[in-house]
Amino acid sequence: MLKIKNGRDFVGGVAMIVVSLLFIWFGRELDVGNSSQMGPGYFPRMLSLLLIGIGVLIIVQALVVASEGEPDETANWKAYALVILAPIVFGLALSRLGLAPTMFLMIVAVSFASKYAGWRQSVALALFMAICSVVLFTRLLSLPVNAFGPWIPFLGN
Amino acid sequence: MDIFSDLWLGAATAFQPVNLAYGFIGCLLGTAIGVLPGLGPTATIAMLLPITFGLQPEAALIMLAGIFYGAQYGGSTTAILINLPGESSSVVTAIDGYQMARRGRAGAALATAALGSFFAGSVATLLLAVAAPPLAAVALEFGPAEYFSLMVLGLVASVALASGSLLKAFAMIVFGLLLGSVGTDVESGVPRYVFGISQLYDGLNFVAVSMGIFGLCEILRNLENEHERSVGVRKVTGLMLTRDDLRRIRGPVLRGTALGSLLGVLPGGGAMLSSFAAYALEKRVSPNRAEFGKGAIEGVAAPEAANNAGAQTSFIPMLTLGIPGNPVMALMVGAMIIQGITPGPNVISEEPALFWGMIVSMWSGNLMLVILNLPLIGLWVRMLTIPYHLLFPAIIGFCCIGAYSINNSVFDVFIMSGFSVVGFALFKLRFEPAPLLLGFILGPMLEENLRRAMLISQGDPTIFVRSPLSLSLLVVAVLVLGLVLAPSINRKRNEAFTE
Repeated sequence: MLKIKNGRDFVGGVAMIVVSLLFIWFGRELDVGNSSQMGPGYFPRMLSLLLIGIGVLIIVQALVVASEGEPDETANWKAYALVILAPIVFGLALSRLGLAPTMFLMIVAVSFASKYAGWRQSVALALFMAICSVVLFTRLLSLPVNAFGPWIPFLGN
Repeated sequence: MDIFSDLWLGAATAFQPVNLAYGFIGCLLGTAIGVLPGLGPTATIAMLLPITFGLQPEAALIMLAGIFYGAQYGGSTTAILINLPGESSSVVTAIDGYQMARRGRAGAALATAALGSFFAGSVATLLLAVAAPPLAAVALEFGPAEYFSLMVLGLVASVALASGSLLKAFAMIVFGLLLGSVGTDVESGVPRYVFGISQLYDGLNFVAVSMGIFGLCEILRNLENEHERSVGVRKVTGLMLTRDDLRRIRGPVLRGTALGSLLGVLPGGGAMLSSFAAYALEKRVSPNRAEFGKGAIEGVAAPEAANNAGAQTSFIPMLTLGIPGNPVMALMVGAMIIQGITPGPNVISEEPALFWGMIVSMWSGNLMLVILNLPLIGLWVRMLTIPYHLLFPAIIGFCCIGAYSINNSVFDVFIMSGFSVVGFALFKLRFEPAPLLLGFILGPMLEENLRRAMLISQGDPTIFVRSPLSLSLLVVAVLVLGLVLAPSINRKRNEAFTE
């Protein structure tokens, strides 16, 4: 039985194969054509097969060559979740709340991804960012967003 | 036309007060953001790119070039003062620069970096002005087969020069090429991998992708291992170099400039490779080699000159062939396309004012940096003391607005968030993100030229070896590959990256 000597690379190789299979699966309807008249599916299909090959080689390497033994990393799931979700919340809230409240809320929330965050500093930073972004982006660079959106009573439009 | 009239035309564009002002703002913003720890030039440019969208093409590119130099210089400042290089190109500067700072010579280290960079930048700009037109003339003769082979060479070279596993770097290129195929197929008009989402018909937006992979991903990495850092140097004094310093840096700056200019032209080369090579060379030839690693001024001068020269000459393949050699150039290509300019051999003849204006502004941008940075160093030191837990929320905020402003659509903000996950997963699996971005940018061009070439040859793949030019490009690509695969060189290469 083969033993996995480099777990990280083994997973990496598998990931590359999965990625190529996804591209093949979602591109299954695309016309491949032939080499003189390549269809829209030709190039992606060729690349996917190539990537499968590379993935297999990475896996083989992971079975043969031992990893150099890097130190374990500690995962910080709270930080990951906050940083990754912050732009999504921003995107969803922008047209409804407007730039200023969206920015304020997002900054306060995301600042708690750090273990050094404190309420007072976060609120101050969020206020600063909200004002800055409104002045810079709605006034100076005139992006088509409102400082306050329709969900904000009185101020919004 | 001779070079002086060209440069004169460029000067007329670059020295227009408006353009000078944008160049200045670019340098200032680039340095201000670039000096912030944990933000390298790529992330800085991706973040500031949207600001230039509303400008005239000349002003936008001049400002971008300014942002680029600023970001790079800012990175060196961070490397010297707190031993935290923003990007790989200033890694070696940190070795001796930080030691100098700890010995109270921070001012001298910063002045050396600034003067070395300025000298190297001036020489490399001149080289760019001389080399670009003939190269572009050659490139005009290129057919689809030659372009295809050239891009293959570029991609192969970028793998060879990346750190870490070759196989994994190759995987990243192919993954990038695949991502580049998302969107409407140019030849047939058939949508690919769009899942019925109308915003995807134009493809994934490269600014959103790079902000996710380089900007947000960096924050995720930093938060994982968060600790308060201390700024060793609170006040920088003694910016003047002594006569002895000047004598010592003369040789390293000259050698660094020559080496950097040469390596910067290589596809996949640029600032990082140049600075590593220059440091390694200086360590061999310097009479003060024993001092290296303990604060040798040569160890700052050589890599700083080299990375600036390399950064400058890496514009050559981008401007003349339309082929970006590194992620920063890929961003510049994207910015030019947004401005309605397709980078390639035609730019020089079709947009002479823009082309030469940009070249001259490179020089004036370098000059501005010297003027700007030495007096403002106190301000940059203050910026360094902003704690990270206040910094990263602001970066995320600007990234969100930046992504939104690309197309005034929140879709790109979601794409950015999605690619921060992709980037982070790749980091966890130790895949280098730079080749991915290169593949992503080159993908559509590569496919188009491949299809055209094969159409011309009626499906006969020997077209790529029948043209002498294409053949020689492919031979070079194979040679490069063979060189890195050779075990002895591979070992040396790993040493160079871990040094």
